Amino acid sequence: MWSYLSKRILLSVMIVFLAILALFITLHSIPGDPVSIALGPRATPEIQAEYAARMHLDKPLYHQFAIFIGNVARGDLGKDLFSNRSVLLILSEQLPFTIILAITAIGWSALIGIPLGCLSAVKPNSIVDRITGILSVGTIAIPSFLVSIWAILIFSVGLKWLPVIGAGEPGDIGDQIYHLILPAFAVGLGWVGYLARMVRASMLEVMSENYIRSAHAFGLKRRTIIFRYALKVAILPTITLIGVGFGALLSGTVFAEIIFSRPGIGKIIYNMVLARNFPVIQGAVLITIGMYVVVTLISDLLVSLLDPRVRDTL
Amino acid sequence: MKKIMQTRRQVLQTLAFTGIAGAAVGKFPGMAYAADGGTLKIQFERELDSLDPGYFVGGSPPNDVNWAIMPALVLYSRDGGWTPSPHVESVVARDSTHIDFTLRKGMMWSNGFGEVTTEDVAYTYDREAVSEWKGDFVAYDHVEIKDKYSGTIVLNQPFAPFMNTTLASGTGIIICKKAVEAAGGKFTIEQPATCGPYMVTEYRQGQVLKLRPNPDWNGAKPAYANIDCLFVTEPSAAALAFEAGELDIAKISSEAYARYLKESPANSALTVAGALQYMWMGMNTDHPKLKDIRVRQAIQHAVDAASVVQGAYAGTAEQSYGVVCPGLVGRREKTGYSYDPSKAKALLDEAGVSGLKLTLRTLNNQERMLSAQIIQANLAAIGITVEIIPLDSGPFWNMGQESKGDTWKELELWIMRYGSGPDPYEPFQWFVKDQVGVWNWERWSSDEFEDLFAKGVAETDSEKRKEIYFRMQEIMEETGAYVFLTHEPEVFIHKSSLSPHFAPSGEMIVGAFNKV
Repeated sequence: MWSYLSKRILLSVMIVFLAILALFITLHSIPGDPVSIALGPRATPEIQAEYAARMHLDKPLYHQFAIFIGNVARGDLGKDLFSNRSVLLILSEQLPFTIILAITAIGWSALIGIPLGCLSAVKPNSIVDRITGILSVGTIAIPSFLVSIWAILIFSVGLKWLPVIGAGEPGDIGDQIYHLILPAFAVGLGWVGYLARMVRASMLEVMSENYIRSAHAFGLKRRTIIFRYALKVAILPTITLIGVGFGALLSGTVFAEIIFSRPGIGKIIYNMVLARNFPVIQGAVLITIGMYVVVTLISDLLVSLLDPRVRDTL
Repeated sequence: MKKIMQTRRQVLQTLAFTGIAGAAVGKFPGMAYAADGGTLKIQFERELDSLDPGYFVGGSPPNDVNWAIMPALVLYSRDGGWTPSPHVESVVARDSTHIDFTLRKGMMWSNGFGEVTTEDVAYTYDREAVSEWKGDFVAYDHVEIKDKYSGTIVLNQPFAPFMNTTLASGTGIIICKKAVEAAGGKFTIEQPATCGPYMVTEYRQGQVLKLRPNPDWNGAKPAYANIDCLFVTEPSAAALAFEAGELDIAKISSEAYARYLKESPANSALTVAGALQYMWMGMNTDHPKLKDIRVRQAIQHAVDAASVVQGAYAGTAEQSYGVVCPGLVGRREKTGYSYDPSKAKALLDEAGVSGLKLTLRTLNNQERMLSAQIIQANLAAIGITVEIIPLDSGPFWNMGQESKGDTWKELELWIMRYGSGPDPYEPFQWFVKDQVGVWNWERWSSDEFEDLFAKGVAETDSEKRKEIYFRMQEIMEETGAYVFLTHEPEVFIHKSSLSPHFAPSGEMIVGAFNKV
């Protein structure tokens, strides 16, 4: 296990390094002069020169990358171009909102999607299976921004039950949950379908395994076979999917964050791209990459704990 | 059949009962919607970057916030002119280069920085004159300090627009000398000291900025004591939030404007805050394909600007006939050319041009792309093939500037939009000789235009200024390098019980909001 863990961590570090390199190259490949893009046309030559020196843009590219890596290693993600606030501080204010939204969305979709998938697999080709299939494909096919808008139109504009904008008052859990319901619903709906289809497919495969047939032959109760033996194995790819899904949601909640005007990493990336605030964009993407890698690592470790055979595959 | 109607509270109680709302049982304070409470909820469409009038990005929201919490000599009045602010006893233009002012006594800065004084005014404007916004203070020379409360602004030349485009604008607010110096000479999102009817009590990035009554304010109380400024960057989301009752005022898109003109929500009203944007299609007079003025004139006659207004803006923008925006002195009602495809064809034949292929560069947003496609179809009708090149704002704003590469040499056609201040001199400053290769991408110059520009700035008689600016727009269109397209409006939807007040450039002056 320790060998697997160390290899997996090493791989994660390499992935993060390559991602930082890709991010750096991408940002420096954007057409146009980065100083005038960042500062706009009104900045005087003196201000442009001062900015270029401050951001090390007057140095060769490899030198800039080395400085960037060094700063990242020290936890220094730079300062907001306009407000001069620490990027790390800005992101630390925004990140909890995205994590909470992603956990809630994935959480409720898992609570619904996994049992639905089990139900379909246990009664394949039944009416329940067909209805679940249609619902699953339906929820996968509808984009989350469309779900958001319809949810707002129905529950906020029409019925006036739930709020449209904001994340609630700080320190008021009730208000924050109240503001979380619609965004979490919109973000998680598609994942209900994904998870249901994944669990169904895995369960059907496992249910045809010899050890399940043996269990039937030994006269074990159907419920025991399904939940103790079949689901334990069938859930493994779903755990991986949830891990990847959670990572994707860290940046994928952007539509919900914009439409519901919630703070969050996705929204801040969007706003800062519009404002050409490169230090914040760089920091936010970096944090997202880091979170993605950590979550994927955790889900892989979880899978390896449940299925020791996985440890030999790396 | 019994109709099932549930209140918001009943639904939430049900959710709580079934465990979905968990810890939130019986505790939903967020239900205090804008319409229900005493707090006015307004939309900010952009994140707050800086409040420093010398170094901010400008526009909304920095100006909205500064006008609520900071002193100024004058403010925009409801008729589009200017009016003395609540911080002064008087502001009088003594002659064309001297403006006398007297501050009210006892206007106290926050954080113990004492009274607002003439020294603060002098410090502020001296600082502005060397800042990133020094362009607004080009006519400013210095402030003569008479005493603690009185002084005179001295201009280095007669400059008719000074009150409107400088003092009343966002760069005209007064900052506290002692506080700014104590802060190191610069600041960003927090004013070191404030003195206005409101104070900022809470700011959460990307969420809300709360304006609450300033207890030290001894001027007239504003109509709304509490204002929550909610950051809603997506126009559709803002419109939905307004419809849901969570905003009392929101800026809306052209699409929403067209929809609300047909049917607007109950108890709402629409206000056009201004249309100080001017959009045109420019042509590079130095480009070999466009060097012949007859080709440029053919293009002027081939483009149907009315179709652009209808097709790209759903009829919500005003058609443009020049660079002077609606409501300003010098705004024209027609152009010297007209939509006439047969005349366009004749001009092309006369120039001996056939099979012409041109590129049309534009910012990659919905309205511009639609405009470009309409122009593409118009020009196809006279045998000109147009390739549309959509661009992100970075490369777009650099493409005509000689200092930013060589793209200016390849420029043929482009769709451009500039914003104007509330004085007609502003748009013309970008087309003078010095601006060729900077912002005058059409690359022409005219001695007559230069003379008229100088005269227009110094002239105070409205009729004479009108004639000057009429002629300047004629000169522009006679180059054949312009097809004037639209003036996009800044439109807000708001509760009908609210009478909002805006700067001509569309920012909100919340201290002057009234209840109807």
